[in-house]
Amino acid sequence: MSESLSPSPQGTRPGFSINSHNLVGGLIILVISVALLGYAFYSANAVIPRFMSFALALVALGVTVGVVPVPGPRDFYGGVMLVVLATLALIASADLPGQRGFAFGPGTAPRLFSFILAALGAAVAVGGVFVEGPPIDKYKIRGPSLVVISILAFAAMVRPIGLIPATFLTFMISILGSTEMRWLESVIGAALMTLFCWLLFVVLLKLPFQLWPRF
Amino acid sequence: MSELLSHLAQGMGVVFQFAYVDVFGVSIPIPWNILFCLLGALVGTLVGVLPGIGTVATIAMLLPITFGLPPVGALIMLAGIYYGAQYGGSTTSVLVNIPGEATSVITCLDGHQMARQGRAGPALAIAAIGSFFAGCVSTVLVAALGVPLTSIALLFGPAEYFSLMCLGLIFAVVLAKGSVLKAVAMVVTGLLLSMVGSDLETGAGRMTFDVAELADGIGFANIAMGLFGFAEIIRNLELPAESRDIVKTKITGLMPTRQDLIDSAGAIVRGTALGSLVGILPGGGAVIASFAAYTFEKKISKHPERFGNGAIEGVAAPESANNAAAQTSFIPLLTLGIPPNAVMALMVGAMTIHGIVPGPQVMTKQPDLFWGMIASMWIGNLMLVVINLPLVGVWVSLLRVPYRLLYPSIVVFCCIGIYSINNSPTDVVISALFGVIGFWLVKHDFEPAPLTLGFVLGPLMEENLRRAMLIARGDATVFFTRPISAVLLTIAIILLVVAALPKMRRRRDEVFVE
Repeated sequence: MSESLSPSPQGTRPGFSINSHNLVGGLIILVISVALLGYAFYSANAVIPRFMSFALALVALGVTVGVVPVPGPRDFYGGVMLVVLATLALIASADLPGQRGFAFGPGTAPRLFSFILAALGAAVAVGGVFVEGPPIDKYKIRGPSLVVISILAFAAMVRPIGLIPATFLTFMISILGSTEMRWLESVIGAALMTLFCWLLFVVLLKLPFQLWPRF
Repeated sequence: MSELLSHLAQGMGVVFQFAYVDVFGVSIPIPWNILFCLLGALVGTLVGVLPGIGTVATIAMLLPITFGLPPVGALIMLAGIYYGAQYGGSTTSVLVNIPGEATSVITCLDGHQMARQGRAGPALAIAAIGSFFAGCVSTVLVAALGVPLTSIALLFGPAEYFSLMCLGLIFAVVLAKGSVLKAVAMVVTGLLLSMVGSDLETGAGRMTFDVAELADGIGFANIAMGLFGFAEIIRNLELPAESRDIVKTKITGLMPTRQDLIDSAGAIVRGTALGSLVGILPGGGAVIASFAAYTFEKKISKHPERFGNGAIEGVAAPESANNAAAQTSFIPLLTLGIPPNAVMALMVGAMTIHGIVPGPQVMTKQPDLFWGMIASMWIGNLMLVVINLPLVGVWVSLLRVPYRLLYPSIVVFCCIGIYSINNSPTDVVISALFGVIGFWLVKHDFEPAPLTLGFVLGPLMEENLRRAMLIARGDATVFFTRPISAVLLTIAIILLVVAALPKMRRRRDEVFVE
């Protein structure tokens, strides 16, 4: 699902999205659906998902070359990604046993809800083809990506270098996402927040964290 | 009636429980539950005051911290955050014209006008008094409806339960804003996500992609923190930095005049009634209640032109309504085990983590928890009135903390919180992923709240569906042949159809635009 960040902003230039094809968005879905198709052929028992990802690839191709208009990109891409998710879930639950007699197997409910989700996603996407809607907002890169990077950095750092340096550094990375950050203020803020978290989590709640790097 | 009183007394007993703590060899009695209630109310007010951090995000953020607490204390604190936020939201609406919470958007209209006319004090006081009145009434209502609703719920078999959950989800979808189709899609996405992990009956790993951390399923705290905490921060960073102009007028004369009280008494009562009613409905919650109460008050007023120009009824009605709704929305959760909105879904998460399965059995098996929580709501409301008004100045000065320092603090706080649950860095990565997904969802006009509801109800729904089908020997018509189940499902279908009608869709849009 991490690819689902896109369709990228370039795909929705003003005047470009209304009743016209959407090259970048289409290409992104195309790549995703080809990957799904490969995964479906790689997994056993995934016959229906193979058809579904093939259909997705066809739609994506249609969008890329401009046969399928996308007047409502928010709905269209949103719906398509739900179908992608449903297909992925179907492949992942393909080898789970299904209904035995009257009893549901472990795979019954996931498949049932995957099909419902695929149908709903398709309905949303069809709405995006026929009903004009607002374009997708532009994605700003700096703030969001730095926040995400700082969270991932925390996950990577907390074990090896300990809680206190990790907290301080996470604060510093995420504050870079703001366009109005000031160095002195940020360092003081980071130190205070680290102190606060240490007091709360370590002193007060007595959680067993490793605080400093292990030498 | 006497039963009701004895239950409330039992609850009070729980709230005022003392635990003895040794401090330097002297054992000191500490009323922990009161402290948790106070802490929750204060944190809730704080959150309500700060724009950009919603109630759901805060409860998600604080979930990990409550793990170490006893269950009663944890739930009392989380409940306190919820209704505390209703109080706090009104403060900024009145003074700064920025609603701290979605529930007090409508309070801005008249509340801020009153502040500009130098009547900020009475506006805040009326908001607090109205909220307190609503809180008292709805606490009694929760207590009174608890027993009968629970006894109904105990009659339910798996088929009825499944249908009831369907109805609850449909209600939540229809009453929320935005497209019904997309909201249903989000619910189903949530249901599907909840199935990741071990199967309830066979233990088979489902959709785990051979990731060891997914074998236990996706943690609820990770999803909640990602979708509401991180996604909200990411989204706010995209917005241009707002300048917060705080009304510099000194707040003089906190007490409303006699005329103010007479004017607003009716509005408070009507707001409370309307709010209590809307709160019980799944999906309703406090936001709709405040809008409905304001619109209603304006309609029946003899001088509708006063609204928007500092009419005190325009503050009293929505503020009472949102508080009443915030509290009555506990009714479906505590009695039926069905969370009516995203905040309640988080409460379910909190309960599950403490090993409590929400539902009718909570009241019979853990009466202390049930009545203690209800009693704490009343105490909490009382504390809020007492602490809120004198602290107005403190809350306003908090608004001067710039967002650029606030959000990194929230980020690190959330990170440590998630990490602390299982000492697992993977959990942090998963919630970062859900942060990105939440951000993407909003860009595509999908609401994350129905997804959370679906995720929380997923295991319960699947379990009941499987049981019902097994009992009925694989006959799916059982949902329509058992009378209660048939009625519930019929209502759900009618609701969906009505909401999908073009005429109703326009009406719905209008309500939310206003």
